[in-house]
Amino acid sequence: MQRVHLAVLGAAVALTAAALYLTFTSNHEETPWLVAATHLVAVWSFIASGLVAWARRPDNRFGLLLTAVGFAWMLGALSESNRSIPFTLGWILGATFLAVFIHALLAFPRGYLETRSVYIAVFAAYVIAPGGGLLNSFVDDYSDDCADCPPNAFLVYESQTATNILGVVLLVAALAVLGTVFRVLLRRWRAASKPLRRLLAPIYATAGASLGLLLVAFSLTPVSETGSNVLWWILIFVFASVPLSFLAFVLRTRLARASVGDLLIDLGSAREPKELRAALRRALGDPTLLLGYWIPDAALYLDVSGERFDVEAETAKEGRVATTVEHDGELVAVFVHDDSLLDQPELVRGVSAAASLALARERTVQALTAGERRYRALLDAIPDLMFRMDREGTYLDFKGDPRDLVVPPEQLIGSNVYDVVPQEVADQFVGGIQEALRTGKLVSGDYRLQIDGALRDWEVRTVKDGEEAVLIVRDITERKRAQDELERLHGELQARHAELERERDFIRTTVDSAPSVFCLVTPEGEVVRFNSTLEAISGMRDDGLVRGRPFWDVFVAPREREEVRWEFEDLSRRGCKGEYENAWVSAGGGERVLAWSLTPLSDETGAPRYLIAGMDVTERKRQEDELRRSRARIVEAGDVERRRLERNLHDGAQQRLVSLSLGLRLAQARLKADPEEAERLLAGAAEELSHALAELRELARGIHPAVLTDRGLDAALETLAARAPLPVDLELTDSRLPEPVEAAAYYVISEALANVAKYARASAVAVSVTQLNGSAVVEVADDGVGGADPTRGSGLRGLADRVESLDGRLQVESSPGSGTKIRAEIPCA
Amino acid sequence: MARTLLIVDDHPSFRATARALLSEDGFDIVGEAEDGASALAAVKRLHPDVVLLDVQLPDMNGFQVAAELCKQNGSLPQVVLTSSRDAADFGPLVLQCGASGFVPKAELSGAVLLAVLR
Repeated sequence: MQRVHLAVLGAAVALTAAALYLTFTSNHEETPWLVAATHLVAVWSFIASGLVAWARRPDNRFGLLLTAVGFAWMLGALSESNRSIPFTLGWILGATFLAVFIHALLAFPRGYLETRSVYIAVFAAYVIAPGGGLLNSFVDDYSDDCADCPPNAFLVYESQTATNILGVVLLVAALAVLGTVFRVLLRRWRAASKPLRRLLAPIYATAGASLGLLLVAFSLTPVSETGSNVLWWILIFVFASVPLSFLAFVLRTRLARASVGDLLIDLGSAREPKELRAALRRALGDPTLLLGYWIPDAALYLDVSGERFDVEAETAKEGRVATTVEHDGELVAVFVHDDSLLDQPELVRGVSAAASLALARERTVQALTAGERRYRALLDAIPDLMFRMDREGTYLDFKGDPRDLVVPPEQLIGSNVYDVVPQEVADQFVGGIQEALRTGKLVSGDYRLQIDGALRDWEVRTVKDGEEAVLIVRDITERKRAQDELERLHGELQARHAELERERDFIRTTVDSAPSVFCLVTPEGEVVRFNSTLEAISGMRDDGLVRGRPFWDVFVAPREREEVRWEFEDLSRRGCKGEYENAWVSAGGGERVLAWSLTPLSDETGAPRYLIAGMDVTERKRQEDELRRSRARIVEAGDVERRRLERNLHDGAQQRLVSLSLGLRLAQARLKADPEEAERLLAGAAEELSHALAELRELARGIHPAVLTDRGLDAALETLAARAPLPVDLELTDSRLPEPVEAAAYYVISEALANVAKYARASAVAVSVTQLNGSAVVEVADDGVGGADPTRGSGLRGLADRVESLDGRLQVESSPGSGTKIRAEIPCA
Repeated sequence: MARTLLIVDDHPSFRATARALLSEDGFDIVGEAEDGASALAAVKRLHPDVVLLDVQLPDMNGFQVAAELCKQNGSLPQVVLTSSRDAADFGPLVLQCGASGFVPKAELSGAVLLAVLR
């Protein structure tokens, strides 16, 4: 006990003496002995218990609080004074000890308040107890209860109504505080473990009974004064027992220390881990204690049964804590126990220290046992055969499945390996044994052996064991088979890979060398890659500058980009194919017409793509346009020719026939009157008729010369040459040509000769018709002025159309001053 | 008194035959012209009663010539168009240009011409 405790003790003695003096000198105390007994029993119960607890645990304020309850109680002794002010103060402060008691009860056992609600309850108690008394002193004269008492020094205005109202308010407030106290205690009780409940039970019983009696006494006071007085006396003695319960709780550690001595005795007789655990449970008073041995090699705990002990899982449970045990600075074990033992750290430390040696010893045994058990389990789990053999190859021992042996086990032991397995396998065994014995190193090998008619593969590992060898033999038949299958599959895979590479190279070559355009794009139209044909046409390289850009921005002519983008997005949205024809930009800055299609597909990674496959149809389009124009010209030429024929007929033969008709009618009219004139008219009519016939023949020849049909090209050309106004040198083929070819050749020569006569101012012209490579070659060459332009006028253009309609070709060479040469090649097939 | 007549045609043989035929039938052939411009000038100069006008002339067609004659002041000649084609080839053009009628060349005679003029 320290000086402060002695000082407090002295103060308590002095105050007790003062209280007894006031009590026995009071002229209004009717039962001074009873009050004195109360002071001596109840007050000193708290003060003595509090001082003991305080001295026992100086760092815990609980003892101080218990002591304070006793001192507060003595404040009530002032009400025994015969003087007005002390008397009034005694009345006001008489119930303060209850507030301190509630404080101590709720601070138990840690010595401080833990939650906000507890704080509020204690604060309210400190306010209500003296505060209520003070307020009451302002309106209550006290003389109703005590006629001999000195006057209330603080009375302001006596009012029974105010006194009653204040009494009810204080009662309600006191009930609220007591309700909170009961609720907190109940919650703690429920949360407490069984060992803790065992310790808390007497405290909660006496304290609960005290508060309960207090509650009843408060309630009974207005009803029965006698009953209330009886209850107050009972309450005083029950109340006085509360600190004794607290003291018992505090002192139990000291009592429990005795168990450490018993533990040392128990440990001496404990032979099994479970006995050791039982001794520890007894020593700590915790039947739920669990024990784990620390195995440093495995870095884990084992329980008393040798099974793994999960400390984290155990301490995760509510109310469970772990205490480690060390021996010579090394961790040896752990207790997992109820957290109520944390209030007895000295006991736990004492038990730990007492048990550490035994636990260290037991831990070693436990580790060895566990290790042996583990290795035995491992050995049993190994499916391999194991042989122990001597240097010469004699079987000394065997472990494994007898079905894997060539001979039964009883025959095997004592036999030599050469008598059991084929010689090459025996040689391998003995060689491996001798090498292992010589070098001390592991010797490995494999062999194939027939067992029960089936060839099986084995792997043997030989290790030295003293002067003998241990052979561990493993069946690797399945593994070998799997390896063979794996190699076969690997070979197939390589072959398939090579095939795919060849296929890929073929496709790549095909795509790059094809005249078609290929371009792979994303569903958004962004270029992924394209082939060399498109590179050549567009002048763009398939590189990072182009990839990722919309293909219409890269390849399509600006005026059609928007249309192509719209069409692509429409198709992409519908996920179907499409075919288009658009102008694409070309390398030279011009445009090319591409007919292209769009096909949805997936690339090698499965990503959705669209393949643009197209053909450069620029030349075809040009030929189509030319053909269209040629046809139009042929039709136009036909129309012109028909109009010419009609005009010629009208102006020539028709006019002559009209004149002839009129002439004949005139002759007929004058036949009788003027026969001579009639004869002259008839002669004129005959001449007119001859001219008409000649003109009709010429006209017919212009349409299609009959001689061409009847006698062929040679004869027709000879006739044509004969009528030409200048000398014509003919070089002709002797054989007939197909009729359309002869007609085309005739009109080429006829038109050419007409042009020579009209424009060339030539002196001679040479005409030749030959055959070359299946084509008729027609040439008309003059020595005129030249300078003919085949693009002007319809004559030469019409001839070209006629020749091209037969898949032929017409060329005109006509440099100024060098004459004109027209050459037509017309296929005969 | 015989009616005066101007023959307009670019074919000399037709002009000669028509002159002989129509003279025979009582017409007084006062002149000939071989194109439209000559015809217009001859009408101004000769004032014929009737103009036998070929539809197809080298410089302008007979309808144009007839329309021009209709625009001139003074006494106008009656115009009869003629052609080696049928009248159906020309449809309403004959009357629209102000001509009195149409005579196919092959059917030309004084009687037919008089019938048209009536």
